[in-house]
Amino acid sequence: MKMSVAVVAGLLLVLVPAAGAYAQGVDDAQIASIVVTANQVDIDAGKLASAMGSNAEVKKFGEQMATDHAGVNKQAVELVTKLKVTPKDNPTSTSLKDGGAANVASLKKLSGAAFDKAYIDHEVAYHQQVLDAIDKTLIPSASNQELKALLVKVRPAFVAHLEHAKMVQSSLK
Amino acid sequence: MRGIALLAVAVPGLLSCSGPGAAKVARTPVTHTVTIEAVAFTPASITVKAGDSIVWVNKDPFPHSVAARTGGFDSQPIQPDRSWTLTPSAPGELTYICTLHPNMKGTIRVE
Repeated sequence: MKMSVAVVAGLLLVLVPAAGAYAQGVDDAQIASIVVTANQVDIDAGKLASAMGSNAEVKKFGEQMATDHAGVNKQAVELVTKLKVTPKDNPTSTSLKDGGAANVASLKKLSGAAFDKAYIDHEVAYHQQVLDAIDKTLIPSASNQELKALLVKVRPAFVAHLEHAKMVQSSLK
Repeated sequence: MRGIALLAVAVPGLLSCSGPGAAKVARTPVTHTVTIEAVAFTPASITVKAGDSIVWVNKDPFPHSVAARTGGFDSQPIQPDRSWTLTPSAPGELTYICTLHPNMKGTIRVE
């Protein structure tokens, strides 16, 4: 039953893209773009923190974010390549990209403890924001089962990062 | 040489009713596997005998570690698709975390 609903939904997306079928969510090509962008944004911020952070924990956390999200992205790119899904820009991925660039630009103006605090505060908010997107938009909207499974599998990484960021955040106070 | 081997086999046979001591002598260490995937240790809790080995296999696309909460062992980062082995020699309960993802926890009971 579920299968036939999914098939019908898929057909609707293909046949009547202008009829508002997207209103319920995003398609797999858009999800791919959101996933890759969300990871890349955190890689960029993490690299900056590993170079510019003053607190050892902050530097280490930044370095780990760059490593972990690069790993997730490698897996995501391998899957969408296998599935022949070409990531497609959309309002969510564009907003993530712009937000990430604005964050990096404002962090670059800071140094020392002010940098550390701004970076970690943003990491806490960012991971929460991405988790909300995973739960409310990405997992419910993914139609390909392998893509859905990947999202389910990487979700705990975002939870762990959020918890870790909160730990570093409270250690700075 | 052959005499010693026969003796080693024969003794447990002769003492088969003598209790756990005899069984312990004959026991071969076992290797247990803990999978690290989706930022979790599976199984999170494991019971082994002293002398057994535990192999942690990292199936996530980024590094993890296996480190005793109170010190004693620390794998350092285990890269994707790599593993790390611990062979506890003394009975007790060991709790461990991944230092990179501190909400990942596991327990080893060594009998």
